[in-house]
Amino acid sequence: MRPGAALLRGVLALLLAALPLQAALAHKIKVFATAEGRTIEGYVYFPGGGRGRNLQVLFLGPDGARLGETATDADGRFRYEAASAVDHRVVVDSGDGHRGEYVVSAAELGGAPPAGAGAAPATAAARNAPEAPAGTADAALEQLVDRAVARHVRPLREQLEAYEEKVRLHDVLGGLGWILGLFGLAAWLHARR
Amino acid sequence: MHLVDGALTTPVIVTATVLAAGGVALGLKRLEPERLPQAALLSAAFFVASLIHVPVGPASVHLVLSGLMGVLLGWTAFPVILVALLLQAVFFGYGGITVLGVNTLNMALPAVLCGFLFRPLLARAGARPAALLGALAGALAIALDAALTGLSLSLSGREYVVAAQLIMTAHIPVMVVEALLTAAAVGLVHRVRPELLTAPRLNTGELGA
Repeated sequence: MRPGAALLRGVLALLLAALPLQAALAHKIKVFATAEGRTIEGYVYFPGGGRGRNLQVLFLGPDGARLGETATDADGRFRYEAASAVDHRVVVDSGDGHRGEYVVSAAELGGAPPAGAGAAPATAAARNAPEAPAGTADAALEQLVDRAVARHVRPLREQLEAYEEKVRLHDVLGGLGWILGLFGLAAWLHARR
Repeated sequence: MHLVDGALTTPVIVTATVLAAGGVALGLKRLEPERLPQAALLSAAFFVASLIHVPVGPASVHLVLSGLMGVLLGWTAFPVILVALLLQAVFFGYGGITVLGVNTLNMALPAVLCGFLFRPLLARAGARPAALLGALAGALAIALDAALTGLSLSLSGREYVVAAQLIMTAHIPVMVVEALLTAAAVGLVHRVRPELLTAPRLNTGELGA
């Protein structure tokens, strides 16, 4: 009995020792981010697990150049002021070979008119659109609407992301079917010999 | 353990892929028809086990089963792990496609080593020592998995100590769970179908290789 109890204590001690390093305690890392005005806000999380705390968050431009960096807080959240309205690739690396990425598009950041949806308003004119006609009621209203829509769409986007991460039964069954098929193929090849 | 695309440099990927291909070829050559169902079953078990994430504290871990596969399959662990990893990558995005060879090597090589180490011992062991050996195999395989994964990262320019430490610490709970599970599985096999652990060809074949 005594060795058993000692073993159990040792196991528990090991488990407890591992707990503070939860940042690494996962097998996949994900980033979610949205922009409100020029502020990129988001969080880092492990699907099926907790938040990624105290991790470095990098912001890369469309050409891969480093635009800036910040770190997640104790809740795994981060906040960053974008200097320009270009596509921001938000990259988190947990240091153990896991990496998460999320793209905040230029359109989302600039508050520029989303006329050509999908196409980033990369021209200087479009980028400066919100500031240039400062005081125009239209622009202000548009920004307001953009922000409101972004706020309302956000839960949906989060839900969509989470849904994508879900392990779905039909995928598991599909994989098992593949293994069964390969087994059958191998058995058939052996039988022919 | 499932490294993603972009975490490693090309020379590391190429080298590991070549080594993994060799292991797969050897594993397929050693795969006897009678062992096919067993290989398929373990492949399916590994495929599903890696998908079931058990929450430990605020994060989650999953089983790998390297030790068990190595002890039961020897070199055949290579093709078995490759198939399951490929399906995991395609269906769920667990681990990258380009680093498939690296991930296969990192998980299958420890399995094969555990087969080398523990099969001869298991063939002679009694019921209780067999379970204990199973536990050792389970834990050792995970430790080696983590060490190899850390090595892959360090060869790609990361600081080995940091990467290995991160991965090791993350896998302590996995080691504990794997040890318990492998002990139970090996104990059961030892009691019910001891010939699976003593199949002479697998033993001598491996040791002679």
